[in-house]
This record gives sequence, C-alpha cells and structure tokens, in this order.
Amino acid sequence: MNASATRGGVTTYNGELALLMSLTPAIAVAVRVIDALWMAAGVVAVLLLSRACMSLIVRAGNPGTQKDASPPQGRFFSALIVSSVLTASFEILLMSADPEASASLGIYAPLIAVNFLVLSMTRAVDSGTSMGRELADALGRGIGFAACLILIAILREVLGAGTMTLFPVGQFSGVIAVPGLIDDPARALGLAGGGLICLGYLAALVRLARKRRLASGTAGESSKDGPR
Amino acid sequence: MSWMGIILTFSLVDNVILSRLLGVSPGVCAPVDMRTARIVGLFTAVLMALANLAGWAVDSLVLSPLGFAFLRTPVFVLLVAGLAFGLHALARAAMPRLLDAAGISLPEIAVNCATIGVVLISTRAGFTASQSVVVGLSAGLGYFIVTALMTAIRERLDVEQTPEALRGFPLHLISAGLLAYAFMAFDRTFLLRLLGS
Repeated sequence: MNASATRGGVTTYNGELALLMSLTPAIAVAVRVIDALWMAAGVVAVLLLSRACMSLIVRAGNPGTQKDASPPQGRFFSALIVSSVLTASFEILLMSADPEASASLGIYAPLIAVNFLVLSMTRAVDSGTSMGRELADALGRGIGFAACLILIAILREVLGAGTMTLFPVGQFSGVIAVPGLIDDPARALGLAGGGLICLGYLAALVRLARKRRLASGTAGESSKDGPR
Repeated sequence: MSWMGIILTFSLVDNVILSRLLGVSPGVCAPVDMRTARIVGLFTAVLMALANLAGWAVDSLVLSPLGFAFLRTPVFVLLVAGLAFGLHALARAAMPRLLDAAGISLPEIAVNCATIGVVLISTRAGFTASQSVVVGLSAGLGYFIVTALMTAIRERLDVEQTPEALRGFPLHLISAGLLAYAFMAFDRTFLLRLLGS
C-alpha cells in the first residue's frame, strides 16, 4: 500500500499545477546540477520531517478520533512554524557541511519553508491516515519534485554552459565539460528567463505525454472490447 | 546606493518576479483581470514595505545583537504571515465588496516566496530602516508592473489559437521567460544617466 502511494506520488503529481508552483522559486538555483541536488535534498528532507512532525501534532491534538477539529488558520500557522524551524535546521547543517553550497543557494535555502509543495503537504495531514502512508505519499511527491528540478538543472547547465557540475571527489574537480557545447553554449538558458522557458516546455511535454498515454489506454480498452 | 538607484534596481533591473523568480506562480498566473491585478499589486507593495520595516527592526534590534541570526527564517516567515493576515483583515473591514468580487485569498498570495524573499534580500544587504521601506515599495511596484503586464498578455493569449499542450500555465511561463529577457534591457547605470541622477 505504501509503495503504491509513493509510486503514485512520483508519477501522477508531476503533471499537476502544484508541482510547477513549487518549482518556480527553486529553478532560480537550478543553473548548476550540484545546486539543484542540494536544493532537492533540502526540500525532500524538510518535506518528510515536517509531514511527520505535523502528523504527530495532529494525532496528539485529536487522540482516539479520526476527525480533525483544528481550525484552518491554526493548521496553517502550525505548518508554517514546523516547516520554518526545520528549514532553519537544514540551513545550519548545510552551512557547517558545505559553506560554498550554502552561499550558492543564498536566499533560496530559507525559502524552502514557504515552498508550495512543503506547505501544502504539511497542511494536508489527515489524522485518519496511517503515518506510513502519509510519509510514503510525501516521499513520492518529493522524488517527483527532485526529478523535475534536477532535469531542468541538467538541461540548463549542459546547454547553457556546456558543463555539468557534480560533487568533487579526490582528483576529480566535479566539473564535466561537454564536447561541442563548452565552446559555444546557449548562454540565455542559464538566465532567469531560460529557467521559466525550460519549465514551461517541460510542463507542456508532460501534459502531451499524459494525453497520449490516456489516448492509448482508451484505444486499448476499446480494441479489447472488439466490434459488437 | 541612491534613492533613485534603489527604486530602479528593485522595480525594474532586479525585478522580484522576472530576475529573482520569486512569486512567479501568483504573479504570473493568479490575477484573472486587471482590476484583481491592481488589488494584488497594491496589497503586495504595502505588505512588502511593512514586512521590510518590521524585518529590519527585528533583525537589527533583536536577532543580530543577541547572536540569534540563525532564527531569521522562522521569525521572518511568521512575521510576514502575521502581517499578511492583519493587513487582509484591515482590507476586508475597509472594502469587503471589493475583495469578495475579486475572489482572491490575499494572505495565501502574500505568504509566498516574494515577500519573504525581499525581506531576506533587504536584511542581508544591510539597508537602513528608511531604505528598507523604499526597497519594499519598489519591489512591490516591480511586482505590480509584471503582474499587470502578464494579465494583459494572458488576456490576449486566451483568445489565440495555441497548441493544446501549451495552453494555460506552460504558455504563461514561456511568456514570462520572454518578458524576463526583455527586462534585461533595463540597465541601472543607463537608467540613472537617462534620469540625470
């Protein structure tokens, strides 16, 4: 059940407007793959932990009942407090682990606290659903978010700079030069406008793929029925 | 930085939506007509100015002197959320019909990345109290300009024949991307010389 919830979160959530809304501030840092990886790690970690914390708070507030009695504004501010405290913890951890990455993320690391995905998932905790299912759902949506963000970063860095920046290991500096693109990249993709255009086309491609899948599913069903 | 420099930087050159990519979703996609765009723009500008002033006061008088700078994120998030709800309650009391007719939830629009992002930019840059207010108002003006432009673009796009996959949010994002390239023509030095400041 939990595995299917995770899978459902990864595949079905990608095409929805909510994911695009949560991606829009994050694509500002998706100019280098390494920054997108850090951002994705931060969002997934904060998302999972805030959902777990909120789930515990809701259960503690409504013991033995499946109906949530908390007012919407109280739920909203609780979600804000939980996500912002966890985001501040992530900032401190990142600062001590990799100060360069912390500087690269800049003001976008604190903004994880008000990321649409994090806030909407934290608010949407249901006391009637098991904690495992809540976390599996959050994990699925987090993976969907991370996959989209990393894909956009790869496209923008490879086409816009002709490189791909990963973690440096030993002698490896972390920067891979792409032959043919490094000398003459499409630098406009690395700018803010390039991020918006990339996201727009990605959303259109996802929508097109979903439409084709639905159409082929309908055609398959009708051919199974056969002529009557 | 001069006053004119701050206004030009935060409204046009370093626009909160098109350059920083903050508040793209509500700014680009939320307002359905020009009247709603004006309400959202005005609300955001006032909120940004108030939030910047409050953020400056909390940061320079409490958090930084006491060595609690690591608490900036939760404090600023709650500060902006509280101000947004307070301002919304005031606006609702003053002009209930206008807000109901617009059919928008101002606090949810306000508690997006744009306002908190501007407060973070302002405090990290070390502006004074008066500069912070002007930064907030200028960023709000920039937010309104882009929201109004995108509303006008959307009104035209909605009646055009466009491929189905691109219709709606994808096309709005692509249009915003092209607008971001157009905004790169705003150069601070050039504009300051043009205005003779």
